[in-house]
Amino acid sequence: MMKGKSLNDYTEDIYTCNRTRCGFCREQCPVYHVKVYETYSCRGKMLVGRGLIEKTLSPSVEITQILDRCLLCGLCEARCALNNLDIITSMRREMVHRGCPTPVHKGNVERILEEGRLLDARAAPERDGQFTLYVGCVYRSKPRELATALSVLERLDIHPLIADETCCGYIVEATGFDKEFEMIQGQFKKTYQQMGAPEILTLCPTCTATLKEKYGLPVKHAIVAVAEQLRKKQQAVKPLGFRATYHDPCHLGRMLGVFDEPREILRHLGIQLVEMENYRYFSTCCGGGGGVNAVDPDLSIEIAKNRARDAIGVGVEIITTVCPTCEPTLLRAAGRLAGEVGTFVDVQGLWDLLDKALD
Amino acid sequence: MNMGKIDKAFAELQDIVGDRATTSPIHRMAYSRDWSPRYRGMNDLPDIIVIPNDTQEVVRITKVAHRYEIPLVAFAGGTGMGGGAVAWKGGIMIETKGLNRILEVDQQNMTVTVQSGIIIDVLNNELARHKLWLPHQPESKRACTIGASIGCDNDSTFGLRYGKISDCLLNAVIVTGRAEAVRVGPRKVSFSSTGYKLLDLLVASEGTLGTITEATLRVVPIPEAREVRGYLCRCLNDTAKGIERLLGSGLAIESAHANCRNRLHFYTHSYREKYGREPQLPEWAAAILFLSFAGDEDIVAFTVDKATQIMTDELNAQLVREQELVEGWWDSKHRLEFIPFKQKWPDSQRQKKFGAADLGLPIGRLEEGYRRYLEIAEKCDQEILGMTIYNESPNKATASVSFAVFVDDSSQDKVHQFYQYVREMSEMAIELDGTMSTYIGDGDRLGGFNQLEHGPGLKYMRRIKRIFDPKNIMNTGKKFQSRWIEDHKGVT
Repeated sequence: MMKGKSLNDYTEDIYTCNRTRCGFCREQCPVYHVKVYETYSCRGKMLVGRGLIEKTLSPSVEITQILDRCLLCGLCEARCALNNLDIITSMRREMVHRGCPTPVHKGNVERILEEGRLLDARAAPERDGQFTLYVGCVYRSKPRELATALSVLERLDIHPLIADETCCGYIVEATGFDKEFEMIQGQFKKTYQQMGAPEILTLCPTCTATLKEKYGLPVKHAIVAVAEQLRKKQQAVKPLGFRATYHDPCHLGRMLGVFDEPREILRHLGIQLVEMENYRYFSTCCGGGGGVNAVDPDLSIEIAKNRARDAIGVGVEIITTVCPTCEPTLLRAAGRLAGEVGTFVDVQGLWDLLDKALD
Repeated sequence: MNMGKIDKAFAELQDIVGDRATTSPIHRMAYSRDWSPRYRGMNDLPDIIVIPNDTQEVVRITKVAHRYEIPLVAFAGGTGMGGGAVAWKGGIMIETKGLNRILEVDQQNMTVTVQSGIIIDVLNNELARHKLWLPHQPESKRACTIGASIGCDNDSTFGLRYGKISDCLLNAVIVTGRAEAVRVGPRKVSFSSTGYKLLDLLVASEGTLGTITEATLRVVPIPEAREVRGYLCRCLNDTAKGIERLLGSGLAIESAHANCRNRLHFYTHSYREKYGREPQLPEWAAAILFLSFAGDEDIVAFTVDKATQIMTDELNAQLVREQELVEGWWDSKHRLEFIPFKQKWPDSQRQKKFGAADLGLPIGRLEEGYRRYLEIAEKCDQEILGMTIYNESPNKATASVSFAVFVDDSSQDKVHQFYQYVREMSEMAIELDGTMSTYIGDGDRLGGFNQLEHGPGLKYMRRIKRIFDPKNIMNTGKKFQSRWIEDHKGVT
C-alpha cells in the first residue's frame, strides 16, 4: 500500500479549499457544532494547513490538540471533492514528525507495538471454522458482546475460523504515526496475508475499512453476511415489533457503502425503522471516532448527545447500530442527556437484537 | 495594534465569555480570510476571537472594544467576496455563529425571530417542519447566516418573486458602536411610516454601524410544486424583455437568471459529471434564461405552458428541450445537490479563483455592459468566467450582474490586476447609470472610491456612521476606505 503523502504534497488541495470557501463542510461537522470555532471545521483546518505550509504557524502542541479533535468521520469529505481525511491525517503526521505527538496516542502506539493489541484481550475466541473472521481489539475486550455476535453467526450457519490476531493499526495510522504503522502492518501481514483466505469476515467497521483500504484484503463485514444468510434461508424470527432508528457507523456506511443490509435486517426482525434527519451518506458521527474519545471524552459525549437528540427528534426511543464504538458512546451520552432533557433513548446493538429474534 | 490594549481587552473578554475567547494564532489563522481574492502569504489575522451567545454578551464585548478603541469585526459565513469580514486592521473578531438560536416561530403571523448567527439552510430545515420557508436564498446558504445576509445585502435566487433580505426583514436588534442594543423596525408588520427607517440603514451596513444580533423575518408557505425551464435567447437584452413581458401578462415567475454561454459552463458541473457530455447550444444563442415557477401544481403547469408560448412566439426564444441540462443547472444553483464523493465543483478553483464585479445595470444596457466587460477583462488580463444576471426585485426585471473572472492569486501584482478590473468595471457601471455593487458590498474594495457613485451623499454616510460608531471601532477600514483602490484622483 502507498505510504501517506506529506502535508506539502497537499499544498494545491489546501489552496483550492482556501480559494473556494464554500463552507459545505462546516455546519454539519459534529466537532464544529459543539466547539463553534471555525478552526475545528475542515475549512478552518485547511487554513491552519496553509499556515504550516507557508510557515506563518509552527508545529505546536496546540495544533496537535486541535487536530486530535477531528473525528475523521468523513462527513466533510461527503460534501467535497477533496480528500480531506488524507489531508488532515497528513497534518497529524506532520505534528508527530516534528516532535508534537499526543502522549495518549503515543502510549497506545507503544502498547500495540509491544503487545499487538490496543486493549486488554478479555476473550480468547480462537477456533476452527469455515469462514475466516477478524475480531479486532475492541470486540476482544468485550467478551459478552463477542459471544453474542459469534452465537448469532453460528445460528445462521456461519461458522467462523478465528486466528490469534494482531491489531490492524487503524488508530496508529489515523493519529499520524506512519513509521510505527509500517511496523504494525508487518506484524499483521504475517497472520492474514499468509492465510490467503478468499474472504475475511469482520465485526468492527473500522477494522473492516482498514483491512480493505490499508491492506487491500478481501473483507466483508459480518452483518452483510448475516443479511445474505437471512435472505437465503428465509430465516424465521420472533418479530420484535417496536420502532427504532438506525445509526450508520461512519466506517461501515459512508466509507464502505454498507447502508442497506443493516436496514434489511431490522425490517426482517419486525422493527419499524424511522430514519433520523441525517442518515446514510450524511449520517453524523457518534463522537467516538478518530481517537477523540481518548483525548477529549467530554467532547465525545457532547457530540454523542447531539446524535441522541437526532433520534429523540424523530420520536423514537431506541437507536440501533452495529459498531462496538458507536454503541457504548451513544449509550453513555443517552444516559447523560436523559438527565438534562428527561427523555431517555435506549441504544441496542444489532447483534443483540438478532440474538433476541433468533432465540 | 497596541498589544498592551489587546492583553487588557482579552482579560476582560475572558471574564465575559470564559473560554469562548482566544488569542491563539492557530484559531486566528482560521479566521484570516473570506472568499475575496488574496495573494499567497496575505493573511489578515484578528488579534482576538470571541464567541458570544446572546445580545447582552455582545453589548459587554462592544463596551470592551469601545473602552480600548479596538476594531470589532463580525464574522459569519466567511463566504463574502469583498473582504468585509477580514480583520485587516486587527482587533476583536466576533464569531457570530454562537448566536444560533431560533427564538420564535409565529405560524399565525408567518414570522420567525432568530439570533443573527443562524445558518439560512439550518433555519429553513427547521421552518420546513411548519411547512414554511424563508425565500431569501443566496447560493452560500449552507454557510451564510441571517446576520450576514442583512449586513451584506447579498443575492437571493428567488428575488424575482420575494426580493432580497430587506423584503423579508421586519425588525432587527443591533448593538451599535456605542455598545447599546437597539431594536429597529416594526414588530411583526412589513411597513411603518413613523420615524426614520433605521432598519434600512442596517441592510448592507457590513458591520460598520454595529453588530446585528437578532432579526424577525416574514416567512411564506412552502409551495406545493416547482418547475424550472430554460430558454435560449438571441441577445442579452431579450432576457430582460422576456421577463418584463411575462410579468406584464400576469404570470407569476418565481426566479429568473440569465447566463451567457461561458457562465453556463460554470453552473453545469453536475450535469457534465452525471451525463458525461457538454451542454450543446446552437450558435445563435447568446444567452440562456432560466425561470422557475412555483405554486399549486395545476397553476404551475399552466404558467409553464403560457410562459413557454410567450417566450417562443413573441421573443423568438427556444425552449431547452434537454431538461437534464436545466435540472443540472438547478442542482448547482439552488439544490446544491452533488453526487457524494464525485462532485467536482471546487476543481474550478484549483488553479485560479472565482472573482467578480457585481454591477447593477439598467435593463436596456445589458448588451453594452457585456461588450465592455469583455474589453475590460482583456485589458486587465483577466480570464473570462462569464456573466449571470440575477433578478432580485419583486415582480420586475432588474439586472444585478455578476461579471466573473478567474483570478490568478499567485502574486500580489496579479491580485492587484483583478482589483484594477473591479475599478474599471465599477466606473463603467456608473457611466451606464448603474451601481458598482449589488450584492458584494463595499468591503475593503470600494470605500472612498464609492464617492464616484454617491457624490456628496458619502459625506452624509460618514456622519451617520459617526452617530452609530463615534470611535470608529465597527469594522474599521471598510466602506469608507479601500486597501485595493487607493488612487481616487478625480473621485474624492
